[in-house]
Amino acid sequence: MNRREFLSAGAALSAFSLLPATILAEKTKQMNATKFPQPLEPKIVGDVKEFELFIDIIQHEFAPGMRVHILAFNNQIPGPEIRVNQGDRVRVKFKNKTELNHTIHWHGLHVPWRMDGVPYVTQMPVMPGEEFVYEFVAEPYGTHFYHCHWGTLLHMQSGMFGSFIIENPDDDPIKKQFPYEREYTLVYSAHDTNFMRRELNGMLERMKERMYLMRNGRFDKERFALFDSKQELLDAIERGYQPPYSLSRRAPSDLPVPNWFSVNGKSYPSTPNLYIKEGETIRVRLINAGTEEHFLHLHGHDFWLVCDDGLPVPQPWQQNTLRLSPGKTLDIIIEGKNRGLWTFHDHDTRRVTNNGLYPGGNLLVLAYEDLPDEERMVRPMKMKMAMKPGQKMNMLPKVALDE
Amino acid sequence: MKRYKWMFVWLFAAFVIAASDGLAQVSPEIQLATRGVVSFNVDRAAHATASAVNDFSDTAVLLGFKQKLYGRYRGQLVVGFQFPDADSDLGQVFYHQIFVKLEDKSNILKIGRSRVRSALIEFPTLRDDDAIFYTDVLNPFSSGENTEDHQYGNVMEYAHVFGQRVWLRLHGEHFTKTPLPPATAETDFSLNAIGVSLQYRVPESQRWNRPILNQIGIGFNNFLTNRAAYGGYDEVLKNITFSAILNIRPDPVHFWDVRHQSILNLGLSGVDRITDFTSMTLARSLASTTALRYLYRKLERPTAQISLTVGYKSFPELAQNTFQWLGIINAFYRLGDNFDVGVQYTLQKFNGDLQYLFGETETRIQFSLVFAIDQLWNDQFDDRDSLLNLEHGYIN
Repeated sequence: MNRREFLSAGAALSAFSLLPATILAEKTKQMNATKFPQPLEPKIVGDVKEFELFIDIIQHEFAPGMRVHILAFNNQIPGPEIRVNQGDRVRVKFKNKTELNHTIHWHGLHVPWRMDGVPYVTQMPVMPGEEFVYEFVAEPYGTHFYHCHWGTLLHMQSGMFGSFIIENPDDDPIKKQFPYEREYTLVYSAHDTNFMRRELNGMLERMKERMYLMRNGRFDKERFALFDSKQELLDAIERGYQPPYSLSRRAPSDLPVPNWFSVNGKSYPSTPNLYIKEGETIRVRLINAGTEEHFLHLHGHDFWLVCDDGLPVPQPWQQNTLRLSPGKTLDIIIEGKNRGLWTFHDHDTRRVTNNGLYPGGNLLVLAYEDLPDEERMVRPMKMKMAMKPGQKMNMLPKVALDE
Repeated sequence: MKRYKWMFVWLFAAFVIAASDGLAQVSPEIQLATRGVVSFNVDRAAHATASAVNDFSDTAVLLGFKQKLYGRYRGQLVVGFQFPDADSDLGQVFYHQIFVKLEDKSNILKIGRSRVRSALIEFPTLRDDDAIFYTDVLNPFSSGENTEDHQYGNVMEYAHVFGQRVWLRLHGEHFTKTPLPPATAETDFSLNAIGVSLQYRVPESQRWNRPILNQIGIGFNNFLTNRAAYGGYDEVLKNITFSAILNIRPDPVHFWDVRHQSILNLGLSGVDRITDFTSMTLARSLASTTALRYLYRKLERPTAQISLTVGYKSFPELAQNTFQWLGIINAFYRLGDNFDVGVQYTLQKFNGDLQYLFGETETRIQFSLVFAIDQLWNDQFDDRDSLLNLEHGYIN
């Protein structure tokens, strides 16, 4: 794309962003509540909190006009949020409704090793139509997540992730230091939608014939590329077996290159807003369930980094840009000290794109919902956009686009 | 007023130029499909033996471009060429596919030169035309010199897919009419055939759902032989085709299927002798072809294939009892992905009038190497027949 084309595309999208989506309107705020992981209510069975998760293939929209087939826990992207107290006994009944294999790995949790969800290491994969029950005690405190550990590269970017929050309601170390009422969970991911489509189709096709053979008791180690030991693999190669990764067998052209970047399964302009009030403190739990690093920058504020991988840091420190690596969770505290509408986005702006076009991706806004009326007026914009005199902030762009 | 009008025109032109210059192009999907077929042939006919060191006919290259259009449509352009038989009069290279396709989920419009609907299914032979007298409706406007005359033509076709598996096709074609000397090229490209077909077929991606019935279909081809430029006969030449494919052992490792196609050529009245290729196509006939195929798939890919194809064609209304039959047995072994080595033995017998044209017997043995690839670059959207689209909702 040359400079002229870039500017042209950018201008078109900016104009799109200026549609009168009202960032501070009640309707927008109500809609926004649905853009965060939905809590999964447990059933109390004795002293156990029992959760039910299932996985299925659904159609999902990252942004208006862009639908993909995706793997969804309980038909949600991300999967529902499991929230328990530290020390709770937890049971998760996981039902596989797809024709693919899956497991669930509890990322950051200290579960018994047989519950860790690594196929062929800690458990057999949960095969099509099967159910597996995970049981563990919720430890340690903090922000964690769960994800599929089968075909991880494909299954995670295809939607199989969700937040797992372990609270300590009576003695929350963060709340003690930074009293807050509201908190938000943001799950970041990156998706190569072409890789997802191609690989899901291929895997579904292969699984159809594999299931037939399994049902008929004809499991074949070479066909499934599954050996009991390295020596068994070496012996098979000696006999002429070609591993699937060899150049003469399966040679995918490239590793996935993400072209969509999502927060809670949505890309800008569908991403959630973070609402705050002047003087308020909010906690934001950041989870990177994708394969890309994100360098998240908040305009106009220095937030406190308070937890790293769920663990409270010994000494919170302030910054305005953090590095959220794949697999990491970071908790930050934002203090409402500078009212306005502020962007919160990846400063590697390649991830603020949708299919290569800016703006998009993980572009969010921190919005002060108690912004005074007089500050909702933007005269220069009014003149540019031919707005009516006296019109309020709800004619502002959905999010400020300057960085 | 006139001055304002010109100003408007100039402004509009400037806007169009600026807009077209500023917009990025949508990159299409690019598909390359090639098939290289080379064989060493030994032929025996009329008590004489001949051999060909190198037969590369049917080798073909296809290049396709496809992209999403506004709304629900997709557009496609395919350009392809193949190398015809050495003794054909098509030249060194024949452009067999040049068409544009417009489609959505259920409707497909195809216009250009392409494979005509002269057959409903394909048979497991080394080359597409190895059993063409049995497997395809034959073009009555051809001199019989080129098998491509029966396979390719200028096509206008509309297809509608009911549900996911039932295909209705309405097609009109210009089949090649061999120019009469001294002319060397066709000058009339008008419609000379129309047809319709109805097929039930299981999409390739769902083959491991293991249905017994894989395909069944019926087709009607009408050659407009009543047109002055195309024979000027009193009647239209009608052909009716029936086909079926059964997966008799739909096992992923040891796969067996059987396929059958019958073509009933209703013929023109009064044709009771075959003296040349044209009269053969105009005579009433019934051609039946059946193939039994065994496919061994060791590591989720084809490893070896053996097939037996038999064909029988009779001409019931000729003065002399006339029929022909054919047997083809072949075996292919996969040396690597996309690359096969094979051997094929073909035996044909001719009786009655056909002996004047073809002799009594033809025998051919072919030792072949085949390299076939199908690659897609810049893929951006799914096909109608992908498992995701078929089983989890179609995405426009």
